[in-house]
Amino acid sequence: MARVRPKGPGIIVFLAVLGLVGYGVFMLYSRQQATGGGTGSQQQQRRQPAVTVSGFVGGEKTGFLANGKVQRILSQKYGIELDYRKAGSIDMVQGSVDGQDFVWPSNQVAEEIFRERHGNPLSAENIFNSPIVIYSWAEVVDALQAQGIVQQAASGQYEADLDELVALVDSGTKWEEIGLPQLYGRILILSTDPTRSNSGNMFAGLLANVYNGGEVAGMDSSASVVPQVREYFTRLGYLEGSSGDLFQHYIERGMGEKPLVVGYENQLIEFSIEHREHIARLREKVRIIYPRPTVWSGHPLIAITENGKRLSQALQDEELQRIAWEEHGFRSGIIGVSNDPKVLDVIGVPQDVSSVMQMPGPQLMQELIRTLGGS
Amino acid sequence: MRTLSRGIMLLLAALLLGACVDRNSGGAGSGTATGRGGSFSGVSLSIISGSENEGLEPLIQRFAADNGASISMQYKGSVDIMLELAQGSGMPYDAVWPANSLWISLGDSQRVVKHSESIMRSPVVLGVKHSVAERLGWVGSEVRVQDILDAAEAGQLRFGMTSATQSNSGASAYIGYLYAFAGQPEVLTLEQLDDPQLQDRIRRILGSVQRSSGSSGWLKDSFLERFDSLDAMVNYEALVIEANQELQRRNMETLYAVYPVDGLVIADSPLGFVSKGDSRREELFLALQEYLLSPEVQQEILAAGRRTGLLGLNPESVDRSVFNPDWGIDATRTISPIRFPAEDVLRRALDLYQVTFRKPSFTVYALDYSGSMEGEGLAEMKRAMRTLLDSELSTKYLLQPTDRDVSVVIPFDDRLLAEWVVNGNDPQALSGLLDEIEQFAGGGNTNIYAPVARGVELIRELGGSERHFPAVILLTDGQSNEGSFSVLRAALDGNGMHNVPVFSIVFGAASEEQLQEISDYTGGRVFDGKKDLVKAFRQAKGYN
Repeated sequence: MARVRPKGPGIIVFLAVLGLVGYGVFMLYSRQQATGGGTGSQQQQRRQPAVTVSGFVGGEKTGFLANGKVQRILSQKYGIELDYRKAGSIDMVQGSVDGQDFVWPSNQVAEEIFRERHGNPLSAENIFNSPIVIYSWAEVVDALQAQGIVQQAASGQYEADLDELVALVDSGTKWEEIGLPQLYGRILILSTDPTRSNSGNMFAGLLANVYNGGEVAGMDSSASVVPQVREYFTRLGYLEGSSGDLFQHYIERGMGEKPLVVGYENQLIEFSIEHREHIARLREKVRIIYPRPTVWSGHPLIAITENGKRLSQALQDEELQRIAWEEHGFRSGIIGVSNDPKVLDVIGVPQDVSSVMQMPGPQLMQELIRTLGGS
Repeated sequence: MRTLSRGIMLLLAALLLGACVDRNSGGAGSGTATGRGGSFSGVSLSIISGSENEGLEPLIQRFAADNGASISMQYKGSVDIMLELAQGSGMPYDAVWPANSLWISLGDSQRVVKHSESIMRSPVVLGVKHSVAERLGWVGSEVRVQDILDAAEAGQLRFGMTSATQSNSGASAYIGYLYAFAGQPEVLTLEQLDDPQLQDRIRRILGSVQRSSGSSGWLKDSFLERFDSLDAMVNYEALVIEANQELQRRNMETLYAVYPVDGLVIADSPLGFVSKGDSRREELFLALQEYLLSPEVQQEILAAGRRTGLLGLNPESVDRSVFNPDWGIDATRTISPIRFPAEDVLRRALDLYQVTFRKPSFTVYALDYSGSMEGEGLAEMKRAMRTLLDSELSTKYLLQPTDRDVSVVIPFDDRLLAEWVVNGNDPQALSGLLDEIEQFAGGGNTNIYAPVARGVELIRELGGSERHFPAVILLTDGQSNEGSFSVLRAALDGNGMHNVPVFSIVFGAASEEQLQEISDYTGGRVFDGKKDLVKAFRQAKGYN
């Protein structure tokens, strides 16, 4: 990677966002799964008159919402026409929501900020989930398997104890020591910038848990955990600012530059569906490692008006949930809906993601962001 | 995929800028760049770009024509792009496209660049004549930077490399060497730069460079022109491909690309927007960027020898006559680069290169004081010399001398009027030299040949071509009406010094033909000082 940090927009804005993210994280993931409780009550929507529902949506879901099948179901079955704008997850809840029926960010931080700014919403339902995974390449996974670090489960997916992987990084093991002399230097797991991007932020939280002996890290462990996480990220140098960019660089530039990168599970699924012509190549070369433990990235739909709530309920439609999984790789956020990996062409995607843990407490995450931002 | 990540990028931009963007209801899924249909008529965009992108300009102009926009490209070196960026939003361009993000990072202190995205990649490699690579046992094996140093010190490898402080390919190679000699750290640190062992080895490898240059393109051209004098050059993979295509046409031996595994750097060619608050321009920029990143255009760029597209996924899809495995250029081969260090480390590394690590220069300035220079001409020449000899100005342009540099000034008209020599980089000695230059007056006719012959003779006498990069920088504004090229040539041949490059600066009514003749014979280059003499001097010095 030949970019240098930091760059991008004005430093003041950047700092403001840092503060914001920090603030958001401050009430973050402890209630990770709390919004998953809604069950379908779709039927009653049928006879309602058609409405246009307006709101802000995180960019990674625009592919789903632009899907013709999704639009048809919303319109024909629920009488909903969507008028949405892409916006940043934090931004959409931070600014004015006047005239909006809903906002649909990409993480629970945003939901917390919403409550802080605008009071409790009419409803907030977690519509989708996607676990944090580690993307890699066949040769790298083979080498890690030979070391006993990665295992292939009976159902096909690759798994690794995150603490063992991280120990490999922390001990300064060189790639050539595990039989990959063509790779430069020491083993690293790359993520996005944890102060700018949600996936990197969640990985930083996972690392904090790992350094806390596998327990959810809290303020009582900050003195030991925070310096270790900072040390980890100091070694990474420049980091991409968005999960989309990192995944794209991984696929484009390959194993030499990106042997191990952190991403969302749905990224590869959606990519492989959008690029079916590459499916054979993907199966041959690309590997997903499911770290044990991992964390969920959720997508809560925050309803501001009755129409927004109507959309929220519509999105729990079984057919829509199925499309979200089969065509866009989002696991259902709805309890009781299962996601069958057999419908996907991608290898190594498990039916269920086990070994999911909670993010560290909000104050610790805030502390982490502050420390990492200052480095 | 492209659409998805673009969406996420816009989303992040929106997040960072505190603005809700893109009223894009429902249609966010499709991402064709040219689909907006000529909607940019009257919108203009000016781009300052590295010269390695010149071959891609037709792609840009095609986009401009399709969209009714007006896009202009200005080609400059990395240092110039960095200096332009340092002006912040006051800089006279709307977008930057250097060879490497490093120059944005160093120049963009006011953080005005946004939407920066890599358009293509090209690793910086060592292109070695096939027979030499064969002899060194480098064909098909892993080569380390230490191997390059060993071969050069054993006299088995004569190689050229551009100046790390003027040209990105030289900077990249240099930083790669630092990583290798620091023992492959994840990122290079300030402490490692101070390590005496690292310093010793970096001095030695830079000291073994046989030819310097201020630009990668010129290094390639001069390598081809004087093919027998070097065994190898450090350059972009893309330029090694171009050189090989040319060598193949000439039926000559091709180069084998060596990718040092412990210190490899990839030029990432980021295209970034300089924000000045014009939203139409920003839309045009984003549309251009999306066009360049579209699968079709990426394929065209790939065909030109730059790495693009889903290379991580299917490298086998590339044209093997371009990425030719026989040349060592194999797209299926894993290219594993170093990770760039923080900005303060980069800055320190470049300073150290310029003032202590690099092979020192022995520079003879032959300055025209003939009658026609009087007035404006002399004033400008003195101003130009000030940028090279004044320590503050030379630091700004990364042209500071080392303590082992030798600077000689020979003022001339139709006679040799004086000889002033300064050893090293003592600011007082250099400013004393500047005083001499500023107070001096000449006034006769012009003989450009005698000072060149004398300069080269001085280099020989003082041993200036043994441990230094020797060069004569000749400035003149007139026709030489005395002396002749044949006399000069006889002198150069007589003392065996025709390999000392003469960099000539054309000024006023100077005869470009006469200067070209000298530069061609000596492996130098002619720079045009008619528009901007200071810049021409800076460029010429950057080659030495």
